[in-house]
Amino acid sequence: MSRPSCSRRPLIAVAAGGLSVGLVACGGVTDGTAGGDGYPAEPITLTVGQDAGGSTDLIARALAEGSQEALGVSMPVENQPGANGAIATQEVADQDPDGYELTLLNSTLITVTSQVVSEEEAVTLDELDVITGLSRDDYIMVANADTGYGTVDDVAADSGDLSYGTAGVGTGSQLAQLLLFDEAGIEGNEVPFDSGAPALTAVMGGQVDVATIQVGEAMPQIEAGTIDPIVIFSDERNQHLEDVPTAQEEGYEVPVAQYRAVALPEGAPEEVKQSLREGIGEILATEEYQQFNDENYLTPEEVSGEEVEEQWTELADQYEQSVQDNGIDLGGTGE
Amino acid sequence: MDFTPVIEGFEVLLQPENLMFCLIGVVAGMAIGVLPGLGPAATIAILLPLTYSMDPIPSIIMLAGIFYGGIYGGTVTAVLLKLPGETASAITALEGYPLAQKGQGGKALGVGAVASFIGGTVSIVVLTMVAPVIAGFALEFGPPEYTALTLLGILLVATIGNGSKLKALAGAALGLLLATVGRDAFTGELRYTAGSLELTDGLQFVPIAMGVFGLAEILYNLERRRNGGSIPVATDRVLPTKATMKESAAPIGRGGVLGFLLGLLPGGGATVSAMASYGIEKRLNKGSTPFGKGAIRGVAGPETANNAAATSSFIPLLTLGIPANATMAVMFSALLIQGITPGPQLVATDPDLFWSVINSMYLGNIVLLVLAIPLIGVFVRILYVRSSILSPIIVLIVCIGAYTISNRIFEVMVVIVFGVLGYLMKKYGFDPAPLVLAFVLGSLLEDNFRRSLLMFDGDVTRVTGHPIAVTLLGLLLVVVLIPILLKLVKSRRPDLIGEDENGTGAGAETETGAKVPASVTAGSEAGAASGAESDSASDAGSDTASGVATGPNGDRRDHPPRSPDGSSAERPEEGAAGSHPSQT
Repeated sequence: MSRPSCSRRPLIAVAAGGLSVGLVACGGVTDGTAGGDGYPAEPITLTVGQDAGGSTDLIARALAEGSQEALGVSMPVENQPGANGAIATQEVADQDPDGYELTLLNSTLITVTSQVVSEEEAVTLDELDVITGLSRDDYIMVANADTGYGTVDDVAADSGDLSYGTAGVGTGSQLAQLLLFDEAGIEGNEVPFDSGAPALTAVMGGQVDVATIQVGEAMPQIEAGTIDPIVIFSDERNQHLEDVPTAQEEGYEVPVAQYRAVALPEGAPEEVKQSLREGIGEILATEEYQQFNDENYLTPEEVSGEEVEEQWTELADQYEQSVQDNGIDLGGTGE
Repeated sequence: MDFTPVIEGFEVLLQPENLMFCLIGVVAGMAIGVLPGLGPAATIAILLPLTYSMDPIPSIIMLAGIFYGGIYGGTVTAVLLKLPGETASAITALEGYPLAQKGQGGKALGVGAVASFIGGTVSIVVLTMVAPVIAGFALEFGPPEYTALTLLGILLVATIGNGSKLKALAGAALGLLLATVGRDAFTGELRYTAGSLELTDGLQFVPIAMGVFGLAEILYNLERRRNGGSIPVATDRVLPTKATMKESAAPIGRGGVLGFLLGLLPGGGATVSAMASYGIEKRLNKGSTPFGKGAIRGVAGPETANNAAATSSFIPLLTLGIPANATMAVMFSALLIQGITPGPQLVATDPDLFWSVINSMYLGNIVLLVLAIPLIGVFVRILYVRSSILSPIIVLIVCIGAYTISNRIFEVMVVIVFGVLGYLMKKYGFDPAPLVLAFVLGSLLEDNFRRSLLMFDGDVTRVTGHPIAVTLLGLLLVVVLIPILLKLVKSRRPDLIGEDENGTGAGAETETGAKVPASVTAGSEAGAASGAESDSASDAGSDTASGVATGPNGDRRDHPPRSPDGSSAERPEEGAAGSHPSQT
């Protein structure tokens, strides 16, 4: 994984933000690209519900990097990890919709986690307005190279005598793997890990036979030849792994991926949302940001906020249906 | 092995900006570490927030500085005030304080600095060689191995700790219980969260460490009255003379080897090795000044051993991801915050970072040596600041630090709750270290045990297919059985062991009620060591003194005690206990 190179905590970011407020105030200048009514006139906080250094955080920081140029103000990133991002999302949803409090959303929080946690914990899109979609992060099932597994059928041949790792309860990794195994009639022992990295280690060490993790996590080991890719879960192939088929191509209806989007509390004025759409769109179009996507094996999914809301809601319903129909146990107190 | 990454690492470290961060770390570490009662674990926990806003490499460099600065800060108070910051430096006080009373405090501190430097450096050099080899076994370590290793670690921590074993086990049990708070990683069920969204991920380690070590220690210090007396300032020559160094050379050599080996033990070898070194030097007694009257050899040996052990305990942390003592547990989370997961994968996946961690320790050690000598006088002056001024400042630092962990007030509340808990524990003679370590290891133990069961399809006997795990479980059995066997032997041959048991055993018990931090009296080193205030889980248990050694293969050899003061140097060599770092 690449490492964050910028400051990781808000202390410095806040200081920088303060500085830019000063500059704007003194000069009395707002950047022309930002639109009318003086928005944005002060730094925009982008809250991330994950730890610094994770892929969600990296995306937030890549966005923030371009903010000064595109929006004319800085965008301090604030990490508020906890409950898979539910705490941060709730916190932002409760703020004023003035456009100065944004959050970076993970789709699995809405589509998968909500099925595992209790009702109070479940996060919905009702209290948020999505500005724009950002990108798609694919899940991939991998096997230890020594197992000789190359396809889902190979794995299915050892059904009953398998153990498989997931990145934990209520994650896309778990859902994708359970749905696939259910459809393919594969039986095995589920071994949940705390995140993708230890699940990967377990595959490498042969403690589990296969695991489903994110492409960015798997890439270095796939390239080193210690693990073999088996199947990708999104509805199209990943441009970095053109040879790896999707589950759909193999005949399994398991469209699971991690999508990310930027949102703000519901009810913001249309001008504010428009300024943000334009500004963020400008950041996404920069060469630096596109290069960032590429380096982190992310596929751009820069669709409108409405599309995001529609897509995620649809996915959530679809997952719920599959889970119910197939009697899959994701664990937890939900349902 | 290939030393290119080691050497390349140094290029980065030696940039002026990184040297400056190391310097800041050493200064801050010494400034906090010099406060009575605050040992390295507390110092690092308090200063951790300083490193939050920095990039990984400068922040590790600064941490290394804080680590060594904190340890040496304890030496300063031990020598000048007989108020050691941790048990390990209590040994230094035995000869250092008499020297200070004779106006030779500078000599003791100077030799202490040189000895610390050599001890630390010896350990880092061996660490450089050994760590990648151990990490090579990384992939062999799956859930069953980690289960066995964490189990062994928790047990050793609880039984090697200071004072009452029962209290240590009680603390460890509480730690294990606290580790269960939060979402069950296997079923998604919430446990003991009382409906609080903040607790769904469980309690975090850093605020607990800040509370139990930092805040609790400050509260406890406030209650204690410093028994008057003027604070001596090191006025004599700090830079050791040739003659002094000549006298210290052999003890330093012996202490370095001893410290390195004992430091590998879970439960913290720093104190044990300092005691063992002191015992050896005393028995050899080759110098002009008698022991107890300010023999410089009694400063040089233990200081070397103590630092060598503190450094070699990085080996289990960096290669297996298992913190061997409280200080390492704090370092563990400090590295996690920087996105560095100490463990078998580190050297393979991120060699640059791995070597920066190790190389910054070289740097921290050197900067300490260069700095410590000229600055001793300055740091001593911190002791003149009234605690009514100092304590609120530190409490404020702790609270701000806690807030910045997740940018919410919840963590500050956790610090306060655990501060009060830690204070009460200290007051009633419970060492907080077993609690903290069991908390860190608890979730690793549970998760890996349950993972193992899933892998084994519920059949525990399938562990026999994992030789490493079986060996570790064998060691565990040995650790449990030794005290029982000893009791049996003792009851049959009271002449053989009885006297020795009382030597350390009785001393350890006095710790629990002691209000005055270090009742150091010349000539009774074992009792004094245990009587000293400590916030690290390190002390010689009575097992040690009884002269039972366990070889690396788990074979047991019973030795008759070597000396009546309980300083026979044999120690169990169980190696490290390990765990897989948990992260979100």
